[in-house]
Amino acid sequence: MHNVGFALAGAWKVLLAGLVLGAGLPILFGLGIRALAWGTGGDAKLHAEGVTGPKARPIGTALGWLCFLVVVLGVVLGIAYIVATGFGKTISFAHVYPTIVAKH
Amino acid sequence: MTTNSVILALVIVTALGFDFTNGFHDTANAMATSIATKALRPKTAVLLSGILNLVGAFLSVQVALTVTNAVVKIQDSSGAPKASLLAHGGFALLLIVLAGLVGGIVWNLLTWLVGLPSSSSHALFGGLIGATIAGLGWAGVNWNGNGSKLDGVVGKVILPAIMSPVIAGVVAAVGTWLIYRVTIGIAQRFTDNGFRWGQIGSASLVSLAHGTNDAQKTMGVITLALIAAGEWHDTKTIPLWVKICCAVAIAAGTYFGGWRIIRTLGKGLVEIAPPQGMAAQSASAAVILASSQLGFALSTTHVATGSVIGAGVGRPAALVRWAVAGRMVAAWLITLPAAAVVGGIMWWIGHAIGGLAGAIVIFLILVVVAGSTFARSRRRPVDHSNVNQDWDEALRDAERVPAAVS
Repeated sequence: MHNVGFALAGAWKVLLAGLVLGAGLPILFGLGIRALAWGTGGDAKLHAEGVTGPKARPIGTALGWLCFLVVVLGVVLGIAYIVATGFGKTISFAHVYPTIVAKH
Repeated sequence: MTTNSVILALVIVTALGFDFTNGFHDTANAMATSIATKALRPKTAVLLSGILNLVGAFLSVQVALTVTNAVVKIQDSSGAPKASLLAHGGFALLLIVLAGLVGGIVWNLLTWLVGLPSSSSHALFGGLIGATIAGLGWAGVNWNGNGSKLDGVVGKVILPAIMSPVIAGVVAAVGTWLIYRVTIGIAQRFTDNGFRWGQIGSASLVSLAHGTNDAQKTMGVITLALIAAGEWHDTKTIPLWVKICCAVAIAAGTYFGGWRIIRTLGKGLVEIAPPQGMAAQSASAAVILASSQLGFALSTTHVATGSVIGAGVGRPAALVRWAVAGRMVAAWLITLPAAAVVGGIMWWIGHAIGGLAGAIVIFLILVVVAGSTFARSRRRPVDHSNVNQDWDEALRDAERVPAAVS
């Protein structure tokens, strides 16, 4: 049953990468939306009937877009990975920042 | 035209047909949730997904010639066909491949008719396994690999099929739960608009990844057939026209849209909201990409379904229709054996009749099955206009008017 061992060894890595990229980035996106709503104020946030919503805070808008920027970078990395794989390359994180290297 | 070039042509046409069914079977994996939440209009979604599949297929210049090696022993490790199968212009190998492809297509069409998202790779592998067992016996199948790496039917097909939906489901559930936590207190109109863009982005990523992964399989199979017939000699590259044909076939299939499956995955399984849709698609994209990086073969269908269920479980008080999920799991379990049985029977028919006539007969059987499946689907058509119809309401309709299939 060597295959079970190989599969489990791969599975936890996929789970980890999946949680970081597949859950982490959407949560960051959610935080971005929250920051944007905070920045926009008014009706973007739930508030009591008859009163005006919280006032706008520009810092929230900036934070929101910062979150989106990180998410977009993550997606660009994903696309770069797909393209690199197609050309027989892969993305290495050996230097912390991603570099495209030949697949071994 | 020799006998074998006619058979070769039949194999190529059948392989492209499989590629087409692969496309329309899997549109749902990328686009079902975006269509269900109305992030994209149905027609726009299939167009976008089709284009990205086309682009993805061209990006996959990696040689996928050894694709069948994971499950059957009809090639050696360099991708060249086994010498023992090459007598009479590769007839033995061509018949196995043809019968296997027919098995895969028939199963894809039947599951499409009943709207079940079964795995196209399982259908292809199942068909090939069945045809190989019929043609070469049990020993012709690579059941468990040689112990040096994840390989064989168990390692490349069965284990990933069990694990990948669970992994994707966990990722999507965690993502959904936390997204709902961080967006508490924000007006729904505001969040929905934001998550709409997140959904489109993540769904596009899944489409692109699908094009690179799945089109390769058919390219590999066609090139294998060409080599067996002596029409191509290079095991390092794939003829350009093969690449173009496969890319166009999978993109056309995707655009055609397996609306029945989109409906099941988008509306039937979970009543999905934009944040869930985004969590599900992101989980699918991340798990598919991470797996191919780590050499962990899997089916996009299993991942996408696991993600949608996960997104349903992760949202407090969401409705998951476990009966529908159960039907899907049942379909997954029988996909490989069922396609294998069809593949095996097709090989046996082709072999019993023998020669060119045998190949033509199994091709004609495929045409008849495909035609009658399509005719049957017209009785209760599902297309872009009614794909988002309320699920329970449709069920009541089905009770009043006996459904074509149930």
